[in-house]
Amino acid sequence: MTDTMVGSLVVPGDPYDYTFDIATTALLVIDMQTDFCGRGGYVDKMGYDISLTASAIEPIQIVLDAARRAGMPIIHTREGHRPDLSDCPPNKLWRSKRIGAGIGDAGPMGRILVRGEPGWEIIPELAPAPGEIVIDKPGKGSFYATDLELILRRRGITHLILTGITTDVCVHTTMRDANDRGFECLLLEDCTGATDYGNHLSAIKMVKMQGGVFGTVSDAAKLVVALDGA
Amino acid sequence: MALQIPAEPYTFSCELARTALLVIDMQRDFLEPGGFGELLGNDVSELRRVIAPTQRLLAAARARGMLVVHTREGHRPDLSDCPPSKRARGQLAVGIGDAGPLGRVLVRGERGHDIIDDLAPLPGEPVIDKPGKGSFYATDLHSILANRQIASLIVAGVTTEVCVHTSVREANDRGYECLVLEDCVGSYFPEFHAAALKMIAAQGGIFGWVTTSEQLLGRL
Repeated sequence: MTDTMVGSLVVPGDPYDYTFDIATTALLVIDMQTDFCGRGGYVDKMGYDISLTASAIEPIQIVLDAARRAGMPIIHTREGHRPDLSDCPPNKLWRSKRIGAGIGDAGPMGRILVRGEPGWEIIPELAPAPGEIVIDKPGKGSFYATDLELILRRRGITHLILTGITTDVCVHTTMRDANDRGFECLLLEDCTGATDYGNHLSAIKMVKMQGGVFGTVSDAAKLVVALDGA
Repeated sequence: MALQIPAEPYTFSCELARTALLVIDMQRDFLEPGGFGELLGNDVSELRRVIAPTQRLLAAARARGMLVVHTREGHRPDLSDCPPSKRARGQLAVGIGDAGPLGRVLVRGERGHDIIDDLAPLPGEPVIDKPGKGSFYATDLHSILANRQIASLIVAGVTTEVCVHTSVREANDRGYECLVLEDCVGSYFPEFHAAALKMIAAQGGIFGWVTTSEQLLGRL
């Protein structure tokens, strides 16, 4: 057992600095799909202000560029369901219909949260490059009912840097899942966003409590400095 | 509708609406000449005897509106989900991801990876792509079954002691009642097939029940 995090690079963080190595760290870009941050998508259809989730796009672009330059493994996730909705739990389905944006229903960007539809695609600004892994997940967490853990273990990944949306839902569930599985987690707060700004702030604060109960928090610029210095 | 099916070690009971048929890995790579199974030196005719009874089983399950789920073992084209141990095992001349007569061995999207024409899935039947032997590990199978409130599984496919056994063990630990049809599962090794079936029904049905497709079809 070690008493501190292992790694040769350091990102200043709160409540602790994050140390890592490029070969054993993956950048996770969570659910940057039109359905969550684009016009006519699921979040827009539910009536939320998409500028709150779209604000993460530019900082993530900067981080993605730096991670690609540094040769860091990059993994994208997409929330969505099989076209027959066999992997969509009944509780998720009826609640989405109740708020007027039923999963599988026709919307301006195709069937809502269905794999293969325009709204479900990752936005063009953050499109995965060849060789980058894409995980299709039916839930909020990126580990449940997916091959993410297998892929991370196979690559010898021990550290995860989390970006994407939304802070309080998919990012948090994924960070909690990752933390319980022993991954060292760093959340980049300007690379995330929520449908409610208060929830975004609370979610960030929750990570930092108890000495970093789920990991530590930093931002895009600080990570880029660390990566470009490598 | 409740079904009572004569089986070992005792009668298998299930509710038709809460029972799914699981057809495991009936892929060209395992069943056809030139596939991975044959490249490993196996005689595929040992598995091909499973096809005809499984076709009859599929037809009956579809006629009764049962949920039918198919699985395929295989990997992403970049092999990011293939453990190095699995790839290195056997020191094969043509291993996972290498080009073979039916395309890249055990790679998703290749001809050899797909299910044989005789047992092709119909639209609406979920197909589970799995990287391992078990059908639950790193897949959405458990979620799909739970959404349909499935409690019992009728199991067919190949091979008896490898993917069928791992899947039945996983299912049993997750609370599913499993009925394995001995003529609809098969192995390249007859002695392993027999022993694997015995293991399922041993100790009062430690992993589940075993019967024949004829017994089941008689009740369906």
